[in-house]
Amino acid sequence: MPELRKDPVVGRWMIIATERAKRPTDFGVGQKVEEKGISCPFDEGHEGETPPEVFTIRQEGSRPNGPGWEVRVIPNFSPIFRIEGDINRRAKGMYDTMYGVGAHEVILETPHHIRSMAELEESQVAKVITTYAHRLTDLEKDPRFKYVLIFKNHGESAGGGNILHTRSQLIAMAVTPKLIKEELLGAQHYFDYRERCIFCDMIQQEIETGARVVLETDAIVCFCPYASPFPFEMWILPKRHSPDFWKISETEKRELASVMKRALSNLSHALQDPPYNYVLHTAPFRREKRGYWKTIEEDFHWHLEIMPRLTRVAGFEWGSGVYINPTPPEEAATYLRNSEVADGTIKARSHHG
Amino acid sequence: MAQLRRDPITGRWIITEIEHPKGPADFEIESHQKRNGNCPFCYGNEHMTPPEIEAFRESGTSRNGPGWFTRVVPNKFPALQIEGNLDRLGVGIYDRTNGIGAHEVIIETPHHEKELSDLTPEEIRHVLNAYRHRSLDLRGDKRLKYMMIFKNYGQSAGASLEHPHSQLIALPFVPKRVLEELKGAARYYEYRDRCGYCDMIDQELEENERVVCQNAEFLAFAPFVSRFPFECWLLPKEHASDFSQIQDKDLVLLAELLKDLLSRLKRVLRDPSYNLLLHTSPVENFYEESYHWHMEIMPRLTQVMGFEWGTGFYINPTPPEAAVSYLRDTQVQKND
Repeated sequence: MPELRKDPVVGRWMIIATERAKRPTDFGVGQKVEEKGISCPFDEGHEGETPPEVFTIRQEGSRPNGPGWEVRVIPNFSPIFRIEGDINRRAKGMYDTMYGVGAHEVILETPHHIRSMAELEESQVAKVITTYAHRLTDLEKDPRFKYVLIFKNHGESAGGGNILHTRSQLIAMAVTPKLIKEELLGAQHYFDYRERCIFCDMIQQEIETGARVVLETDAIVCFCPYASPFPFEMWILPKRHSPDFWKISETEKRELASVMKRALSNLSHALQDPPYNYVLHTAPFRREKRGYWKTIEEDFHWHLEIMPRLTRVAGFEWGSGVYINPTPPEEAATYLRNSEVADGTIKARSHHG
Repeated sequence: MAQLRRDPITGRWIITEIEHPKGPADFEIESHQKRNGNCPFCYGNEHMTPPEIEAFRESGTSRNGPGWFTRVVPNKFPALQIEGNLDRLGVGIYDRTNGIGAHEVIIETPHHEKELSDLTPEEIRHVLNAYRHRSLDLRGDKRLKYMMIFKNYGQSAGASLEHPHSQLIALPFVPKRVLEELKGAARYYEYRDRCGYCDMIDQELEENERVVCQNAEFLAFAPFVSRFPFECWLLPKEHASDFSQIQDKDLVLLAELLKDLLSRLKRVLRDPSYNLLLHTSPVENFYEESYHWHMEIMPRLTQVMGFEWGTGFYINPTPPEAAVSYLRDTQVQKND
């Protein structure tokens, strides 16, 4: 059983994955990951090679765990968390520990062996978004869970693994993770002071300034945040104030799909398909008994953070939490705006000098 | 000129380069090994670095020439610069300041082919002494609030030069991660009237499940809350918040234990890349009773993925108790 442990000083939780325990010889230092063979367990027709599906969007008349699906959600082969059991939070001397109860799912974004979300049709990206919303709605019903994190690891150095089939992951957990909580507290603090949503203020300022905006539709905006920790980082937000991703409207869904596809394509073309992570930031589940997020409806705003993995996080960043970003977001936005795709060729405007 | 920017939500500061921004073509997506034939940190190449700030050298040798044991020079490509004013200002809802600070390189040894753990305790003492000296000296500059001393060893730990070196970045603010730790420690102290790290040392010694090695003054263990496999901490057994106040006699003992710990890691993990961080109190030390300086050594064995970035949760595939069982068993050759 995996175990969660809490740092008594900083309040940071971590997971001891006992079943994934590694010996020194298990670590390949600097080895290159290549796609092994041609048989992908995530392709259509290979449904028997994965655990039974949790959720699918499938064609009428097709059968569960068979072909005919469009988006398919399965449990992770080697989950970080387990769905069964009690959390059993307790003390061990000065330390706190609890069991790693949660859900860990893989969202297969296409039945075809396509390596990148940027290569999917907009309508297919929209189905992935629908799936995210569905899973969030469903997991909200399990009272053990406080937070569901949806994220994507693309490319080797972003943790994308050795199977080049585009997919996202979902982890439902019993605690609100520290970094999310920090963000929630920050937003709450701003709201206390100004009685406005900080993300709404940010959107307004970004659209007015324009310097960091990458893409914009009626309902959705994508920009490089002012204080991007990472080069070419992008945030995508709905213009309408909304704390919960799963309450996304049909229009927002359609436009989000379009913005996500274009933003990821532009990123891919500007930087030759770099590794990246994206993380969906949505409000935690509000349980009736736990009323401490009093103003969350008003102060938090869901968004997607896309973080290309271009720089190494080294000692200084780890120790300080201060990130050295060699590309100002204004510069990054210029590249990302101008990197357009036409007939499969790249038309990235060249940089001065 | 670099610019500092503050995230209005999390309070996180970043530094961004304004004058020499990198474009897409400047990034290497694939990693590759480089062999630098003419190393600026080697004996005889002292002219290749900016003039030295400080050096521990044989008597009779002259500045910026050979004959040194440990040499401190300004970073040629500093993240922050020492000249100028902070000029804090608001940009709409955002805040910014200029990137003022110091960025120094501590060249640990003239021997290019050696690693910190290969040095003798006496040689390591010079390195630690340089850490201490630089921290104390930079306090003279009232703009600087925190000295971050760290070491990146190996490419995947972020080292761009092979020659053994550490770095020091002096910041005009106390960085977020450090502040979190200081505040967390202060909260613990407020509640129990004891230092949390002292409690940790007591519990670790008592349980003896995660202790790697120790001597009269220092203890090395794999923390209960290791974020990374084989992460190790090294602390003084006596309560002390500020590393730079360390006594000379303790410096030798620290050098010995650090060598022991690094040698174990090197042996068990076949010379892994690692980051070493010195966590100490800020210049304005309101945390004398509640904080406890320590070193954190984090081998770079796993990749930090989307989940970790999104949550601050780290997935550690090796429980510290298991890591310790390997680290304890290894035979460490006695020096010389």
